[in-house]
Order: sequence, then C-alpha cells, then structure tokens
Amino acid sequence: MMNNLPWLFLLLPLVVAAIDWLCFSKCPRTAATLSILSAAATFALCCHLLFCGGACTPDAYNWLPCGGDAAKGLSMGLLLDDLALRMMLVVTGIGTLVHIFSVGYMKGDTSNLSRYFAGLSIFMFSMSTIVLADNLVMTFIGWEMVGFSSYLLIGHWFHKDSAADAAKKAFITNRVGDFGFLIGILMTAGAFGTLQFAGMGAVSAQVAPAVLTAVVLFLFCGAVGKSAQFPLHVWLPDAMEGPTPVSALIHAATMVAAGVYMLVRLQVSMGAGAFTETAATVIASVGAITAVMAAIIATQQDDIKRVLAYSTLSQLGYMVMAVGLLAGEAAMFHLYTHAWFKALLFLGAGAVIVCCHHEQDIWKMGGLAKRMPLTVLCFILGTAALIAIPGTSGFFSKEAILDAALEKSPVFFYIGAGVAALTTFYMTRLCLVAFLGKARDHGAEHAKEASAWMLLPLIILAVMAVIAGYGFVADELVPFAGFHAHGMEIGTPFFVSLGALVIGLLAAVIVYGCGKRSQDPLAGNCISTALRKRLYIDCFYDKVVIGFFQDKLLAGIIEGVDTALIRGILVQGLAWATSRVGKLLSWIQGGSLRGYALVTGLGLVVVVFLFVFFHQF
Amino acid sequence: MTETILFYVFAVLAVIFAIGVVAFRNPVTSAMNMALCFAATAGILFGLGAQFLGIVQIIVYAGAILVLFLFVVMMLDLKNEETPNFIANLCGVVVAAIFAAMVTSVAIHLPGACTCCEGDQPALAAQDDTPVLGGALPELKPEAAAQVMQHVTGQEQPAMNSIPDTKLLGIALFSKYSIAFTILSFGLLAGAVGAVALSRKLRKD
Amino acid sequence: MITLAHYLILSGILFAIGLAGVLIRKNIIVVFMCLEMMLSAANVALVAFSRAQGTHGLPVYDGQVMALFVVGIAAAEVAIGLALIVCMFRARRTVESTALNTMKD
Repeated sequence: MMNNLPWLFLLLPLVVAAIDWLCFSKCPRTAATLSILSAAATFALCCHLLFCGGACTPDAYNWLPCGGDAAKGLSMGLLLDDLALRMMLVVTGIGTLVHIFSVGYMKGDTSNLSRYFAGLSIFMFSMSTIVLADNLVMTFIGWEMVGFSSYLLIGHWFHKDSAADAAKKAFITNRVGDFGFLIGILMTAGAFGTLQFAGMGAVSAQVAPAVLTAVVLFLFCGAVGKSAQFPLHVWLPDAMEGPTPVSALIHAATMVAAGVYMLVRLQVSMGAGAFTETAATVIASVGAITAVMAAIIATQQDDIKRVLAYSTLSQLGYMVMAVGLLAGEAAMFHLYTHAWFKALLFLGAGAVIVCCHHEQDIWKMGGLAKRMPLTVLCFILGTAALIAIPGTSGFFSKEAILDAALEKSPVFFYIGAGVAALTTFYMTRLCLVAFLGKARDHGAEHAKEASAWMLLPLIILAVMAVIAGYGFVADELVPFAGFHAHGMEIGTPFFVSLGALVIGLLAAVIVYGCGKRSQDPLAGNCISTALRKRLYIDCFYDKVVIGFFQDKLLAGIIEGVDTALIRGILVQGLAWATSRVGKLLSWIQGGSLRGYALVTGLGLVVVVFLFVFFHQF
Repeated sequence: MTETILFYVFAVLAVIFAIGVVAFRNPVTSAMNMALCFAATAGILFGLGAQFLGIVQIIVYAGAILVLFLFVVMMLDLKNEETPNFIANLCGVVVAAIFAAMVTSVAIHLPGACTCCEGDQPALAAQDDTPVLGGALPELKPEAAAQVMQHVTGQEQPAMNSIPDTKLLGIALFSKYSIAFTILSFGLLAGAVGAVALSRKLRKD
Repeated sequence: MITLAHYLILSGILFAIGLAGVLIRKNIIVVFMCLEMMLSAANVALVAFSRAQGTHGLPVYDGQVMALFVVGIAAAEVAIGLALIVCMFRARRTVESTALNTMKD
C-alpha cells in the first residue's frame, strides 16, 4: 500500500482537476483551494520520498501485454530515481508557489477561475507523468497531455483573438515536433526492442551508430517542439498571451524544460555513448543557434513578458547545448536553477503587470522601484541570477555549462559567453527602463506593492534563486544522480563570464542611462525593426510555410485530388456512369406493350430451343 | 385414305383461316376467321377421335368466346387499324417462323417419323405396350373400351362399334381429376365474378 | 398416312401464326383472339399426344382432360380479358397496344 503512494503524484491532480471542472465550476474559491492543496500535497509527498522515505518501487500496471514477454509489452510504471524525484521537487515546488500566486494574480478576473485551476491541476498531472514515466510511451502520453493543458491555459482568455491564436499556434507547432518524437519512439522500439528506460542501457551498445543517430535525432524533434528550439521556437513568445503565472510555471520553469529532461533521461538510460557525434553536434548546434538568436531578439522587445520569453528560449538553448555537449548534469543543473529564477522573474513580472493595471510595455512603466520596492527587489535578485552575477545560483549553473563547453569545443564556449553578455544587456535594459526613472504612464503612477498572496511566492523563489546553486543545496536538490556542485573556481570560464557580465552591464547603462529616456535609443533602424519582427521567422512561416506550402501547394494538391478523384471520378463519375448505363438500358423499358410482347416471344423461342435442342447437354 | 384427305383439308383450312385472323384489318373479319379456324380445328379433333373435345371446341370457342369477342368489338365500335410498322411485323413473323421451324424439326425427328427410317416402324409397333411416338397412330379398339367400362360400372357391356369417348373422358374427369376439375370450376366462377366487377362502372364516391 | 408428326406440325404452325399475330397486331382484341388461337393449337397437340400415347386400343385420357381444362381456362381468361379491354377502352378511348406505354412513366 505504502509502496504505491507515488501514484498519488498522478492521481491527485487528475482527480482534483476533474472535481474542479465538473463539480465546482461555479465555485472558484473551492476549486482554487482544492488545486492548491493537491499541489502542496504532491510537494509534501515528494519531500517525504526524497528525505524521509527509503526507496520504494510502486507496482507497474501491465497496460498492453504483448507476446507474453513483460519487457516487450507496454506497462505503466513509475521510475523513482534521483533524476525523477528531484525534478518532481522542482515541478511540485514551483507548481505550488504558482498556484498560490495565481490566487492573487487572478483576483478580480472575470473569466472562469475553476477552469483555470482545473487546467493547472491537469498540467501538474501531465508534467508528473512525463517526469515519473518509466517508458517512452508513458512519456509521450504525458508529453501530449502537457501540450493539451498548455493549450487550455494559453487560451484561458479565449475571447481574445490573440490568445486563441497563440493557443492554436502552440498546439500545432508542438504537433510538428511530436510527429518526429513519435517516429523516434517507434524507431526506439525497433532498434532497442524495449521502450523501458531501465532496459535501454544494456542494448544500446549493440545498436548500429547510424540507427542510434537517427533514433536520438527523431526523439530530439520532440524536444525541439516542446522546448521551443530553433525551427519550432515560434510558439513560445506567443504563448505569453496566457496568464502570467501560467507563463511562469509552464512556459518558463517546467514544461519547456521537459524536452531537456527527456534528453537527459535518454542520455542517462541509453548511456552517453548513444549520443553519437553527429547527433550530439546537431543537438548542440540547434541549442547554440536558439540561444544566440533568442538573445539577440530579446534586446529589442518592449513587452516585459516577451523579453522574458526570449530569455527563456535563450536559456533553453543553453541547456540543449549542454545536452549536446554530453554534459547532462550541467544541463540539469541549469534547468534546476533556471526554473527557480525564471519562475521568480515571471511571477515578478506578473506582479508588476497586475500592479500597473495590466500594462506590459516596459516603456510605459518606470519608477517602479520606489512604489513597489519588495517586488522589484525580488525581480532584481532573479535578474542577478539570470545574468549570472557571481554568488547567485545562475552563476554556478552557467559556469558548469561553460566549463563543459570549454572542455568539449571552444566554439560553443565563446557562443555561450556571447549569449551571456547579450543576456546581461537585455535584462539590465529591462530593469533600468521599467524600474528606474519616472513613471511614464498612469498605470505606473498608481502602482502599489503587490498583495501578500503574490509576495510570499516571490520571496520564497528569490531565496531559492540566490542559494540554489551552492553545493549544500544543489547536491541535495539538483535532478541528477550523484551530482556535485563545484564551487567558485577561478579559471578561464570565470574570467570570460565575468567579462561578458561587465560588458553587458556597461553597454546597457551607457545606452539606457538611468531610466531617464522615454523611448529606445536603438529603435528606428532596420536591425531593430528586424529584431522587433522576430527576425522575420514568424513572417517566413506565415508567408512561405503556411501561405505557400500549406495554403497554395498542399491545399492545391488536396483540392485537385478532391476535385478530380473524389468529386470528379468517384461521385460525379459514378453518377454519370449510372445515368449512362440507365439511359442505355432504358430503351428496353420502353413501356411499349408490343416491345414487351416481342421480347417475350423471343424468350419463348430461346427457352424452347434450349430445352429441346440442348436437352442432351 | 379418307382420313388423310380430311386431315389435309381441315389442316389447310385451319391454317388459312388462322392467317386470315392475323391478316385482316377489320376486327370483325378477324373474329369470323377465328370462328372458321376453330371449326376446322374441331374437325382435326374429330379426326383424332376426340369427339367430345371437338364439340367443346365448337361450342365454347366458336360459340361462346366468339360471341363475346363480337359483342366487345361492336360495343367499342372500332375502326380499322392504321398501317402496320413493317419492321415490327418482320420481327414478329421471323420469331414465329423460327418457332414453327423448331416445332417442325422436333416433329419430324420423332423416332420412327422419318420416312428414311420407315423400316424401324414394325419393330417399334411390335412392342405393344410401349407407346410409339413416330409412325402411324395406334388403332382404337372398342372392345378395350368395353373392358374399361365394365371395370368401372361392374356391369356387362354390350358390344360397341366405336369408342364411347365422352363416357371415358367423364370417367377420367370425375375420378382421377375430380379435385382439379372442381378447382377449375372455381376458377371459372372467379372469372365470371371478376369480369362483372371489372366491367361495372365505377361509382364516383 | 397421318402420323403424330403431322398433327404436331399443324399445331406448331397454328401456334406460330397465333404468335405472329400477337406480335404484329396492334388492336388488342385481335391480339387476344390470336392468344386464343395459340391455346387451341396447343389443344391439338395435347389431343394428338393423348392419341399417340394410347395403348391397348384406347387414347390416354389425361391429355384430353388437360385439353378440356385449357378450354375452361381460356373461357375464364376471355371473360376477364375482355372486361379489362372494356375498362381500358373506357379509360383511354382506344384499344391500340401502342397506346399502352404508360409503364415507363
């Protein structure tokens, strides 16, 4: 009985979501309470399992037995190793804080809050499924479920067209990646003969390198979609249309990290050797491209949430790059610290947005440091972690990645350093413009300190953002078995990242001063326009992929098939043939009595002929 | 010999009048030709020794049915037909001719019927019990009829010089075929009732 | 010498003439007459077979009974058929078989 306690990770949020949705849809307070309680309960359960409980092995549910061999069939089991449990700690911890923050953030919102909290609970269920899954199929189920809950929550304010479109965009873009993921799963089943993570390591050495490359790259497609890597990154900035706590939980801390988690899980279970050189290079390159591109775009965004969204993209690129450099522990370390400080930043941004009466443009803020000092302090701490000021959690994890990069390939190291400088630049720009100087709009003038519901999570997260990187916390909590945080080492990576930090800071201060300017001095030229248009990538998808390939080419082909084959041959052709044959035969049915008599007479003759003269046959 | 001559005379008459039925355009003329055709057919039946059926042929066909036809023709006051369609006529004639040819072909290929194999005929006729389809028709023997009558009635029969056709037919009709005969009677009754029901003028309500 | 074949050929010719009449004539009354002729031609064949099949000096009366039934049925048929023709004439004012083409509608 106690063995199966971990199943509560999945069942509790699922049941709560159903109850919220079905029973308390008119009673948002009860729904919110239930959701918060379930999130807190899973968090408590997670702590219990990590720190007090010994190892326990919950029963696996033999889902699709096949061929009498348990390893061949599909089962649903929970994998409770350090990687999963510590990841669960991040998910449920941040999840609980976001649930609490949501109460403050959504206060006064007229939409159906029961639906919102039900969505959050569904998300908790789906994310737990991904994290705890012991085979790829279960991962895939959770994978699709997080996509679904993300769709629900991005489209929470579905009466806004932009939100509805963003939800669709996120869902459809993810489908592209998931298609590759599904192929990857099937190829895994073919190549490894098992989908259980536990059984992969033993066989991976016998699989041909080319097959391994293909398997890993197809599985990576899923991560590209879910973690918003370069070709499929377009959905994440748009996903900011959802409520800000959702952005914090799903689109910054946990769900988008699922891709990285999945890759690390594969790296751990298949063994690092399974990531062949080609695959690893592709993965690292995609991560690096995403990191650079997102960081550049972020420098010219005005919407506070979009800056953070591109920053998330950039940091995810970092993590994927680390995976590609076969430094899974560095990726997970960064994932873990990033979850805390990015959740903090988003929740801080959410508090700022609420207090400025739902104003998201940083150029309409300003002077907030005086009006809401506590919130801004938390935000600044988060920023410090993000830009990797020495001593904060982000510094340690970024250092870990840069170390790994320097060790494997200097190119990625310098890319990482450049991205770090860009990160510092745009985050400093954001803080300078939004918090210093004078208020530039009514919303900012009347801003007040955030409510306690919002401050409490902010403070907890701020503490975590600062201390999470130190060895005494990180060794216990980083979702990687046998992880050892290394302290501050003075070496090349240290100086380089410090240099990047200083360059970024100085550049931002020189360009933006102390928040006195009322508009962006860099805006107006063509580069800025290109950056504000997101390097025209969305535009390219819209015009070429959708406008040409889908609407013209594909739709043309389908329409041609429809017109020629379905309508022309099958429907109209059948009707035509039937009517022709009918017309052809209709003279027989002429209605003339004499015609019938003649045919009858002929029939008589034929029958007599056959009976009499062919009697012997 | 007389029989042969009579057969040919009646047969030719029957065919001529039958052609007349088809050929004349006036329905009344056709009807009269039909009566004569039936009369000639009755002659053929007499020649076959079926006196009762010959009489029935004359009374029922040439009498009752013909009168009915004439009634209807005159009641409806029909005009002559318009000119017939040549191709349709040709089709009809060809079909009929094929049919006639087939029947003729069957008839002349009956065992023993062919003139070239007349030698077989005595052999076939010698077997008294087996019916012989080809060749001459079997002789009628009045004494055989007397035996049958005696068997049926249980009384001694006086010697006959011809077959009591009507009596024998009646014996068959009312013994072996009594049920069929009853059913036929009901059929006739139904026909009479149906004819009345059909030709009655429908009331408007 | 008159054999069965003679009667059968006569019967066949009469039947064929009747058939030709049915196919050629348009006046439905005459068509009906031709039908009667076909029946009577069949009667000739039946009686001829009855005679030819006879043994022990008597005809097989089954054939004659059959012919008698044919005559009975023909009488009933004529009664019904002529009534139908009268009905048809009332409805259409004609007895031409070419006018009977409403079956295709």
